[in-house]
Amino acid sequence: MMTASQYLDGDAANPGVPGRQPSFPGPMPSRFLTTSLHARVRRWRPLALGLAALACALVGVVALPAPLAAQARHLHGVLEDSATARPLGGAMVTAAWLVGATETVRQTRSDGAGRFDFRDLPARRVLLRVRLLGYAPAERTVDLTADDVLLKVTLAERRVQLSEVAVTADTLVDALERVVAMSTLDRAALDATRGQTLGETIKNLPGVSVIQLGPSIAKPVIRGLNSQRVLVMNGGVRQEDQQWGTEHAPNLDSFDADAVTVVRGAATVLYGPDALGGVVRVDQAMVSDTGRMRGEVALNGFSNSRQGAMSLSLQGGGLQLPGIGATGYRLRLTSRVAGNGASPDYFLSNTGFRELNGSATFGVQRGWGTSELAISHFGTELGVLRQAHAGNFDDLERAMNSAPRDSSFTYTIDRPSQRVSHTAARWRTTFDARDAGEVEVVYGFQFNNRREYDNHGPLRFQNVPAFHLRLFTNSLDARWKHPQWRGLLGTVGVSGMVQGNQTLGKAFLIPGFDLRQGAVYAQEEWTAGRLMLSAGARADIFSQTTIAFADAGIRSPAGTKSWSGFSGSAGASLQLADGWTASLRAARAWRPPTVNERYAQGVHHGTAQYELGAPSLRAERSLGVETGVRYAGESVSLDVAAYDNTVNDFIYLQPREPVLTIRGAFPAFNYAQTEARLRGVELAARWSARSWLELQATANAVRGTNRATGEPLFDMPADRALVQARITGQRARLGAWHVGLGSLLVRRQDGVPEGTIYTLPTRGYSLLQGEIGTAGATLFGRPMDVSVSVTNALDTRYRDYLSRYRLFVNDPGRDVVMRVRVPIG
Amino acid sequence: MSMRSRRLFTGASTVAFAFAAAACGDSSTAPGGEQELISRVTLTLTPTTGAPIVSFIEDADGNGPQAPSAQSGAITLTRGATYTGTVKFENRLVNPPEDITEEVEEEDDEHRVYYTVSTFGSSITVTTLDTDGSGRPLGLQYRVVAGPTTGPGALRVVLCHYDDAPKVASSTSCQGDTDIDVSFNYTIVN
Repeated sequence: MMTASQYLDGDAANPGVPGRQPSFPGPMPSRFLTTSLHARVRRWRPLALGLAALACALVGVVALPAPLAAQARHLHGVLEDSATARPLGGAMVTAAWLVGATETVRQTRSDGAGRFDFRDLPARRVLLRVRLLGYAPAERTVDLTADDVLLKVTLAERRVQLSEVAVTADTLVDALERVVAMSTLDRAALDATRGQTLGETIKNLPGVSVIQLGPSIAKPVIRGLNSQRVLVMNGGVRQEDQQWGTEHAPNLDSFDADAVTVVRGAATVLYGPDALGGVVRVDQAMVSDTGRMRGEVALNGFSNSRQGAMSLSLQGGGLQLPGIGATGYRLRLTSRVAGNGASPDYFLSNTGFRELNGSATFGVQRGWGTSELAISHFGTELGVLRQAHAGNFDDLERAMNSAPRDSSFTYTIDRPSQRVSHTAARWRTTFDARDAGEVEVVYGFQFNNRREYDNHGPLRFQNVPAFHLRLFTNSLDARWKHPQWRGLLGTVGVSGMVQGNQTLGKAFLIPGFDLRQGAVYAQEEWTAGRLMLSAGARADIFSQTTIAFADAGIRSPAGTKSWSGFSGSAGASLQLADGWTASLRAARAWRPPTVNERYAQGVHHGTAQYELGAPSLRAERSLGVETGVRYAGESVSLDVAAYDNTVNDFIYLQPREPVLTIRGAFPAFNYAQTEARLRGVELAARWSARSWLELQATANAVRGTNRATGEPLFDMPADRALVQARITGQRARLGAWHVGLGSLLVRRQDGVPEGTIYTLPTRGYSLLQGEIGTAGATLFGRPMDVSVSVTNALDTRYRDYLSRYRLFVNDPGRDVVMRVRVPIG
Repeated sequence: MSMRSRRLFTGASTVAFAFAAAACGDSSTAPGGEQELISRVTLTLTPTTGAPIVSFIEDADGNGPQAPSAQSGAITLTRGATYTGTVKFENRLVNPPEDITEEVEEEDDEHRVYYTVSTFGSSITVTTLDTDGSGRPLGLQYRVVAGPTTGPGALRVVLCHYDDAPKVASSTSCQGDTDIDVSFNYTIVN
């Protein structure tokens, strides 16, 4: 039986693994097993938490740090053809407003009757823009200061070309929006978390959590799935940066994002068959080729790791390039430097990082369409917690059972460490084919250079990486967004990718490989009154060729294997009543095994965990059903979703007998397959109780089950809820100010598989956070945005289940963050 | 498409193609061609008179999944006799073999070799003879005194690396990172 003391928690008196003194009884291999630990968890009982959170929501609450205005206004209207007065459906409608220097953009799409609807807009002047293929874009300023507005917008068929409006989202998002569970963080919301990693930025969205390795590495987890099952799209290109490793964070500049969208659930048709868990989209605003030069400076300071972050950006239009003409540009330079993170009682040794990123984007808008070239470089050097880098199993056991050593604070990054760079070029062109729709072509080149430095054996004497992987990726996507045809609106596309991996360094972990992928797909939607139907299908073919390796006793064969398959989804959404929408969706997805799942052979950096691939793995196939209810009312909004996802041949790490080497024994895992089931609920709610007060709540619960054994799956996030209250106001010199207070409540995670120490359960915890800030304040005669926030305000000792360091140390303590943003020009 | 944009398109396609050509076809698996590790541990026990006893354990795949080889060279000790011992760490997966013992010696403040005798069977006594720059035991040189009972026994050799953890002279087991952990069998005869 498991006793309470067998939970990992943040107890300061016994910071190792409490109650586990004779923790690895018996000789090998049984000492690697935690042996019949606990009684079966009553799996659905914890969903009471979700329901409790729902109750909270009705009392009103939310996590989305959405910008809140003093008063919520309603802007709605109808779009018509100026000549025929025919209602125009499928137009992209955006409402944008400035708070200080921050432009916030909301967008929607007109329905079959030409209607569009924005709720909860601020009581201020809003710029409304309408864009529809074959029509000239329309723009008008709407004054919402006094009252809600209902208006009619007429669009003229396009004769003259106007320059493109800059919006952050693209065609793919709108088509999915109504049937897929998704949340978007706009500029203002992103500014509230600037300076942190992408994972940290999105971790409070419904359905999202993060696998964390201290302050430097955060990997998104969507609906309980992570790594190769969660796709990151950066500027319309699949991010290819060795995402299979849980200690490999997405290699992108979190400052270089104007919108981040999380699509929950399989979104395979448009993004790729391996997006089983979901997609994180990072989008940048299109650069405009007209307009004067302007820019901004953003500065952050973090007290916990004494992190400083700075980002400079400069953009403008009218750059005259020979042979091209007027070109818009945007340049960005970002640097982040952090030292050792601090938990309440001690510093986390060797957890600092240094990051230097730059990007240059050039774009033109012409009569034929638009074209944009973006070149970016991301470079980071980061430390891995010293205790987590165990020499062998005995070391691991000792590291877990001994009190963490209080290392001193330092910015120095020592072994073990990672140096990773990601260089990308993205060239995106849209052709406006007038009545024939719009064609978009995106070419992407990516070079990911990952070097991991060990602290073991002779390698620590040399400046040579233990693992060195170089991944080259070329991708080409072409999609045609066709005009409305018999009520159908949709996108048809082809996609291709070629990838090559070089395994260098001194140790073998995965072999070099070539990967080729091709796909065709179509996603269509059809609207009839209150009902909207959407369906999509995609066919993919993969070919994976591994390069042989035979040296020093390790054998990895050469070979080529191909997989092909279909994925698809079908969904419906129905407007039930004013403000209420219900949706139902089923999606089929699949994913071929990745090279590491087939051929991994080696010890994982940072965990002393020996992983062995299985070359004969079959493709993983999933079938998911989800349903959602949304309400958007005058002062209350609610978004509830539930899903049930069955994955056949789910690939996971199964504990096996330890691997014995000259360095001693290592706990070992085989890649194996089983039938898995993931079920969960998500909730986001918001209540504008007063014109100046808003309450928000989000909550997630997910249960993963290995159906072959009936055991829970590993790496499932604990149930959590975030409740938050915000008071907002407006003062002449102070700008739009806000004060927020919130609490994160996390339930204990005892839904864990037995058999390995890596899965030991964690205790529940709650954290307090607060924020005070203003947008558009005038300081020193300049407009600027200033905020101070605090996370883990009470310096609570805790260990999150998805923290990779939880076996060794507590999670970081209080962090006071200061953010300043000053526009230039 | 205007002339200019056509030129832009062509130019960019060329660049794209060049990228694509450069990136394909050079995938490789070449982790060094040499494993940077310790693949062989050799004990040399020299009696006061007679030929030295040499025994080693080798792991042909280094950190790979295959277990280390069985011990080469039996260690047969005479009851009550005293031996002067040395230990050698080598990487024999490279040509010529690399002697890692020198690196351990250079960084003596960060290393220690522990010798642990299993409690079952017949016992030997191992005494470390050498010290590091700060006067703490190192363990590259040691003395073995065979016990009074004949029979088999096992000697565990652990090369410990102190990095974060302080190296404490009085400690009896590795409190740092384990670089080597192997067990040699011995027999005490009359």
